Amino acid sequence: MKAIGVDVGGTFTDFVYCDMGNGALAIHKVSTTPDDPSRGVMAGIAEICAANGISPSEISSVFHGTTIATNAVLEHKGAKVGMITNEGFRDIVHIARHQRVEHYSIMQELPWQNRPLVKRRYRKTVPGRLGPPTGAEIEPLDEAAVHRAATELQAEGVEAVAICFLFSYLNPDHERRAQAIVQEAMPEAFVTTSSFISPQFREFERFTTASMAAFIGPKVGGYVRHLDAALEAAGMTGELRIMSSNGGVATPKMTMEKPALTLLSGLVAGVLGGAWIGRMVGRERLITFDIGGTSADIGIVVDGVFAETDARSASIGGFPLLMPMLDIHTIGAGGGSIAHLDAGGAFKVGPQSAGAVPGPAAYGRGGTEPTVTDANVVLGRLDPDDFLGGGMKLDAAAAETAVSGLAERLGLSLTEAAEGVLTIINANMANAIRSRTVQKGIDPRGFALVAFGGAGPLHGAEVAAMLGIPEVIVPPYPGITSAMGLLTTDLKYDAIRTEFQVSGKVDLDRLNADCREMEAELAGQFAADHICADQIAFHRVGDLRYVGQGYELKIPMPQGELDNAGLEGVWAAFHKAHAAEYGHAFKANPIEIVNVRVSGIGTQPKLARLEPSPGGTLAGAILRRHPCAFRVDGSLERLETTYYRRDALPVGEDFSGPAIILQQDSTTVVPPRAAARVEPSGSLLIRLEKHP
Amino acid sequence: MNVQERSIATRIDPVTAAVIHGALENIAIEMGHKLMRMSYSSIIRESEDFGAALTDAEGRQLCECKMSTPLQSGPIPGYIRGILATMKRRGETIQPGDVIMHNDPYAGASHGPDFGFVVPVFVNERLVGFSVTTAHHLDVGALTPGSCGIVDAVDAYAEGLQFKAIKVTERGVRNEAVWTILRDNIRAPDLVVGDMEAQIKAAEIGAERYRALVGQYGLETISAAYEDLMDYSERLMRDAIRALPDGEYAAVTHIDGYLDDPDPARRDLPIAVTLRVMGDSIVVDLTGTAPQVPDKPINMPLVGTVDCAIWLTLRSILLDSVKYGNIPQNSGLTRPIEIVAPQGCLANPSFPAPVIARFCPGNQLADTVMKALAQAVPEQVSAGIGNLRVIAFSGLNQGQHWVHMEILEGSYGGRFGMDGMDAVDTLYANTRNNPIEDIESHLPIRVNCYELRPDVAAPGKWRGGIGTERAFTYLSDGGFSVEGEGHKYRPWGFRGGADGTVAELALRSNGAETALPSKVPYHKVRAGDLLISRGPCGGGYGNPFERDPKEVLADVLDGLISAEAAALDYGVVIAGTELDLAATATRRAGDR
Repeated sequence: MKAIGVDVGGTFTDFVYCDMGNGALAIHKVSTTPDDPSRGVMAGIAEICAANGISPSEISSVFHGTTIATNAVLEHKGAKVGMITNEGFRDIVHIARHQRVEHYSIMQELPWQNRPLVKRRYRKTVPGRLGPPTGAEIEPLDEAAVHRAATELQAEGVEAVAICFLFSYLNPDHERRAQAIVQEAMPEAFVTTSSFISPQFREFERFTTASMAAFIGPKVGGYVRHLDAALEAAGMTGELRIMSSNGGVATPKMTMEKPALTLLSGLVAGVLGGAWIGRMVGRERLITFDIGGTSADIGIVVDGVFAETDARSASIGGFPLLMPMLDIHTIGAGGGSIAHLDAGGAFKVGPQSAGAVPGPAAYGRGGTEPTVTDANVVLGRLDPDDFLGGGMKLDAAAAETAVSGLAERLGLSLTEAAEGVLTIINANMANAIRSRTVQKGIDPRGFALVAFGGAGPLHGAEVAAMLGIPEVIVPPYPGITSAMGLLTTDLKYDAIRTEFQVSGKVDLDRLNADCREMEAELAGQFAADHICADQIAFHRVGDLRYVGQGYELKIPMPQGELDNAGLEGVWAAFHKAHAAEYGHAFKANPIEIVNVRVSGIGTQPKLARLEPSPGGTLAGAILRRHPCAFRVDGSLERLETTYYRRDALPVGEDFSGPAIILQQDSTTVVPPRAAARVEPSGSLLIRLEKHP
Repeated sequence: MNVQERSIATRIDPVTAAVIHGALENIAIEMGHKLMRMSYSSIIRESEDFGAALTDAEGRQLCECKMSTPLQSGPIPGYIRGILATMKRRGETIQPGDVIMHNDPYAGASHGPDFGFVVPVFVNERLVGFSVTTAHHLDVGALTPGSCGIVDAVDAYAEGLQFKAIKVTERGVRNEAVWTILRDNIRAPDLVVGDMEAQIKAAEIGAERYRALVGQYGLETISAAYEDLMDYSERLMRDAIRALPDGEYAAVTHIDGYLDDPDPARRDLPIAVTLRVMGDSIVVDLTGTAPQVPDKPINMPLVGTVDCAIWLTLRSILLDSVKYGNIPQNSGLTRPIEIVAPQGCLANPSFPAPVIARFCPGNQLADTVMKALAQAVPEQVSAGIGNLRVIAFSGLNQGQHWVHMEILEGSYGGRFGMDGMDAVDTLYANTRNNPIEDIESHLPIRVNCYELRPDVAAPGKWRGGIGTERAFTYLSDGGFSVEGEGHKYRPWGFRGGADGTVAELALRSNGAETALPSKVPYHKVRAGDLLISRGPCGGGYGNPFERDPKEVLADVLDGLISAEAAALDYGVVIAGTELDLAATATRRAGDR
């Protein structure tokens, strides 16, 4: 079985080809074609096939990470969207939670008011109302009013419609009937419902998620259809799989129906790739740490399980999203982050970034502000003559000029200022990791950090040291870890039911019926995708909280028919999880099952292993030795540092820091008091000495 | 002088300072995160009416949780000062393992329903600081159910239980008697005590993290870092004040008070603000503000409400976070600001004058500060804001009280270059509403509508924000009480913009609608009764005849204003769905 992973990024489109049969692997990169990303995708696929002597028809699967949806939202370039909602509730998506984004600002914007996904003029209201606890009808749906609204939206040139009724998560009937009417009146339009997209309570968030789906639906659908056709035209008969925010992939059909699945497509692939690399080194408790030019993305994997966001924390472009997503924490810290003194004279690094243009001063494209990359150049951690495998020359003098300006303003030496830039950015990143670990009851000292992306390996070891993390893993190709991650996943579809059931009074029949119904629903979707039943597995998770609380914790629930004994286990697991996350359990208090979720997993072929490059001797891998500045026990020291060439390093031989390892797509720093070696899987494993 | 050319005296190197500042902020965020997620009542978990901060041993604030609402974190230094003074008076000392409960509005608490839980931090038996959480509680044993809308409390004793620096845990031993008294004297004790436990746990986590930080860097370095941090915030505020022309800027606005009260001393009360800017400091003088109302709870504690309203408004305008980023909120920021409030006025009442319903007057004071400052920095303010309203819903279900608190939004006035924000909390409040699907799932209430009010936006070159209409039907017998403002006085228009629109409240019972004043003491209702709230709309900014006709057309197409209003208020002529630019030009020229 042969597969290709394609990850479209802002600058480059990365490819990984893998023959799952013999483990052969090849990588490739082309420039991204932003006007139509599928052009770059198709060109790259043709090139990687040609370079490896395979015919496109031999490829059985193409796994694809795309930023089409993400960019549409961030650039606010989506469809003209209409909404049909309950009479009296036209402005739910405009009022939001009536909270300002900023506490201390008069001149702020509110994304949902300044850049609405659905303009008020296209939000139509109709009579009809459902109510809790069962979704019973309080007022019948006025179908004639729905039809009138659809006719108006059609006349107004609306391209996509979100149908959003209160309590539809309990009973989708009104939304479904309205959808049928609207689809008939607007046959060309993308029409969806809030209960289909995300059947969970909290109307502002659900309506917004449905509006988001409508906003990106036509664009995502068009792109996927276009790419699918192009692949077929190129003689590829294999399956196209699109990366979803939930950590699985989806078929083109599913992606077109639930386009919001793809909103974190690119980011998620990185976490998957990092986790897979960690597993190949035999580590199951991992922090993935992906640093590029402008941002650092952090994911957590505990015993092979990816952390997911809770229902209330996911957002994009300032809009909340009520969808299952991997928990990826992004902060504005990367190679391009600008170091500056703010108006009050404090030394800050980022979140402003020099981006790719003008980029760091060292890029010689006109940038003059000191960036993290410039600091790395000044300290000798980046080699001006050997950046990106010599593919790009860096202007060391320009970097020095930029950083020395900063040093002067700070009253520090050039080296102190450059090292300070790194300490501050590393501390920012360590705080971000702390917020996802220590603050959730996870002790990072039992984890390994997988550092990748162009800049991850430069910072990984020093960030790990700040957190007491003992090991850092650097993949063989840090720059294409995301593309690799695409080849490590399965089809994953989610279903959810809101329950509001309380311990001691649980209606087991209803709970079991809901689980059966969800599993049948998912099995139906897999069948429609031609996935065999024996390739499918189901997982259940409950969103639980103490009665009265507003935030839930995810607790795994047993398979099969649930009984009271099974529930006792669930309650016990909840108390335990609450104590772990918050430091306290309220054991006497009743527990509420807010939602039950079922994930269906359809097995896909996967990357099995990596072959390390043969390497040579340690001595043969040495490029040179040179003094470099490192912070040791709080003070700066210049230490003799060995520079190695990554692909010449032998497997299994330890070497100690300080060392700097150069390779085509990244540079790795092994600080003092650390040792490293190449693992049999080709990854570099850095072990940090314990602090005294 | 440009700050980058000025040499700044600091105690430690800028790199260590940056690392410690990040760590402090991270601790406060963790405290807030945990409190919000562990808590039970919607006022904390949904409305986010809570605060979390660390202070030094003197009570100077080091950092605050940026998720919390400003009116909860801001008062924390005052809580500590109040607790220290109270304990000193009683001859008590703080010991390791103590947890202190405090809600005394005459000693730092913002008002009685806001409880601070304070965990002292000791390192090597030396007190190095405090970890503090504050939160609004649903019921504190006042005369009627709930902890808002207690608008007829006659003195501090009628507002509910008063805890003045009480150790609920002493040297690690829980004082069960205090908890029993508390439980026996409040409605909905499970919710309230659950929230209090969450507050204590969150404060303990903050203390543990702070202790670890001091352990890692040493107290000397940490102290140096936060002294630098306070100087830093102070420097930014002084720079901003120095940029203002020296002089006096005065403004007066009015609160309704008790519009249906025959006693004129209880209604139409002025709030007067004079800002005296001199160099890099500012005096905020409230002389001219109405005398305190001795037997109605709309008086504002000077420490905890008035000071926060002033600080928050000044920083939001002078150091707007959109322009300046997240400046650390700490005690340094307030050093350049001096507050003068005559004893016995509405803004500095004498004990035991009641204060529990000070929320809306306090926000009106914030608005008045903005109105005064508008003269100095007209492009950094909004026109007058629409004030908020708080409603306590309650009832009995099988002998148990249910209590629900809802904060109803106001709106902002127009701004230079931008319309006012619609339907948001304003100035010193920034809470969240409760989802309708949550309210109806857990309470015998049906929400009948939640929409922007049509045809009420204040015209301006940048129009005022629009308030909401929200209506609630009782599904079983119950009651409500209300504290609100702005039923009589319209939010001020600015630079030629029109004044805003007042708020309204009505009860529909048996088919008859009764208009209600802005303050309603506990009022019984029957199943089927409908309570309708119409929120205020902020003032307009600038001459509406200068508004971009396309924006006027957009408002018409969006159903916010009528085509008639477009012609009348803005001089914009619309034919069907198109602009008639020629007719508009004529109309606008003729009206000049």
